[in-house]
Amino acid sequence: MNARAVFQINDLNLHYGEKQALFDISMEIPRNQVTALIGPSGCGKSTLLRSLNRMNDLIDGCHIDGQVRYEEEDVYAKTYDVIELRTKVGMVFQKPNPFPMSIFDNVAYGPRCQGIKDKKVLADIVKKALENAALYDEVKDRLKESGNALSGGQQQRLCIARAIAMNPDVILMDEPTSALDPIATAKIEDLIQDLKKDYTIVIVTHNMQQAARISDNTAFFLMGELVEFDKTDLIFSQPRDQRTEDYITGRFG
Amino acid sequence: MNHAKRHRKDFMIRIGIGIVSSIGLFVLIAIFAFVFQKGSSLLSWQLLTGDYYSTTYDSYYDGTLPSAGFERPSSLDDSVYYSSVWGIGLQDDLDAEGKPYILIVYVDPNSPLTSLPDKNTEGETVQIASGQTLGKVIFSNRTIVLTSNGAQSAIQLFDGADGILDLLTTTRGKGIRGSIITTLYLIGLTLVIALPIGVFSAVYLHEYAPKNSKLAEALRRLVEMLTGVPSIIFGLLGAAVFIPFTSTITAADGGNLFSGALTLAVIVLPVIISSTEESLKVIPDEYRQASLALGATKTQTTFRVVLKAAIPGILSAVLLSVGRIIGESAALIYAVGTAIKDHIILTERSTSLAVHIWSIMAGETPNFELASAISIIILIVVFVLNLIVKLVARRLSRA
Ligand SMILES: Nc1ncnc2c1ncn2[C@@H]1O[C@H](COP(=O)(O)OP(=O)(O)OP(=O)(O)O)[C@@H](O)[C@H]1O
Ligand SMILES: [Mg+2]
Repeated sequence: MNARAVFQINDLNLHYGEKQALFDISMEIPRNQVTALIGPSGCGKSTLLRSLNRMNDLIDGCHIDGQVRYEEEDVYAKTYDVIELRTKVGMVFQKPNPFPMSIFDNVAYGPRCQGIKDKKVLADIVKKALENAALYDEVKDRLKESGNALSGGQQQRLCIARAIAMNPDVILMDEPTSALDPIATAKIEDLIQDLKKDYTIVIVTHNMQQAARISDNTAFFLMGELVEFDKTDLIFSQPRDQRTEDYITGRFG
Repeated sequence: MNHAKRHRKDFMIRIGIGIVSSIGLFVLIAIFAFVFQKGSSLLSWQLLTGDYYSTTYDSYYDGTLPSAGFERPSSLDDSVYYSSVWGIGLQDDLDAEGKPYILIVYVDPNSPLTSLPDKNTEGETVQIASGQTLGKVIFSNRTIVLTSNGAQSAIQLFDGADGILDLLTTTRGKGIRGSIITTLYLIGLTLVIALPIGVFSAVYLHEYAPKNSKLAEALRRLVEMLTGVPSIIFGLLGAAVFIPFTSTITAADGGNLFSGALTLAVIVLPVIISSTEESLKVIPDEYRQASLALGATKTQTTFRVVLKAAIPGILSAVLLSVGRIIGESAALIYAVGTAIKDHIILTERSTSLAVHIWSIMAGETPNFELASAISIIILIVVFVLNLIVKLVARRLSRA
């Protein structure tokens, strides 16, 4: 196995009840890079993303065969600690979903759940996370206000800060900018560029330009299958598969 | 032609509906108006804080009186007759049955009347105070005060006397402090029992129970069923189960506040479970997912995010329950009893406000005015509670 890979996915098949959503997926997610998952709606991008931090566990009838290895360990093994996994692999959702509590409490939520109580330590974590999420300057005077009082773009950066506060290794993002305007989207894209120094990022996006701009690797999915996975420049300049070319040139999807 | 007929029919039906609904409205308004008209004159601070039972004190005075007398305070109303010799102010008044009596409205703080020897108990003293009723008085010069002669004549006799052989005074009574305290105890005890059970049941049903769980389904059915049971049946349950139960584990012997609270807990549990579950339902799943994705456990997610967000819903469940507890009467007749008390002991019988009404109306001489006054108090409290519930609900739907 490639030592630069954080995740290694081997022959992953996933069913929702009777319906198969992923077919024989095998791929490696490289460390400290941005990996984009693209493909038409319903092709299984979110499903694959959720199987990396086992959020699919919450879905009734979801069944998984094959392996997802995180840092060499099979996360679907019986003895694997899913809580531990989720502290290392953070997630940012499509719709900004801050908790109905203050900005500070939102960011401090994860660390508090890990048992950190010391006020000074928490304040430090919150400040750093907000700084890293490029939100601190905008909210530093109103940390006590509700997270829901922020704009959509700020809320999404708050959610990124909330994930960063756990000091994870990987951040999974499912269409993090699809609910945002172009300016807020640009801010988040800049942020992702900054974050990749310290984190491995896997991002689902419908926006081809976005994938081309921010990612190092791109995986193209079609109807639950991984069609092509390569360096982003290669995918966008000289795709090997005709279907990939059709999709990125906008001929379908 | 046909057209006109249809119009006429429509018109008749509208008139009919109008008449029927205004009859309903009229009856409702009439009831409220009746209750307010009957009871509002009794509403007073004394009603809320006073004893229900009046006590008669028997005392005398054989000491000396200060020659300077006691100055009439300027705050006293013109209708008050005042004796500067004794420092007492009296007023004519009518009781609930319309009979005249003499009310003590002022006693000078330095007057000897503030501490008289008690004839009935050696060594005890009696304090004559405003709010008491003046009964028969025999002065040392053999003059006698008769209540029927009124306050003015009484004051003349007071002014002409320098000693009292026999003084009867009566505390007012007909206050409902005891029943208010019982009601407050019942609210507190019931919520202490029912709130944790109700909230945890709802959390189990909505957050933990697997889909299609038989147990959860059975619990929901039970809750639904309990909502429709008439409360007298819960009263029987209280009598048959909770009174013996509380009698064995406490000093109680018969109806008491614990068995009352247990009975009420059974009654309000369905309310708490179902409205808590409703409030859990409207909490977006995104919160739960966000929490779990941050490495929080299920329990942490439930308590730190879900329940916290459900607090307004739980609060309105509490308010609804309080309304139900205040309004409940049938279920408490056995479990707590019908004996009106002034000094409330948890392990003894007493009455809640609603049962207090029942008790005074069931007696030989029903006291309609007092019953109406208590009704007004209950109506106001329930109205305010409902208003708060509405406000909370509106706040909820806006958030
Ligand atoms: N909870 C679920 N239960 C059953 N089927 C599901 C569930 N979630 C997704 N699916 C199905 O699995 C397939 C893949 O869905 P998924 O959400 O992963 O697609 P996606 O690529 O993320 O699409 P989109 O771009 O629209 O978000 C779809 O056919 C979808 O209907
Ligand atoms: Mg998706």
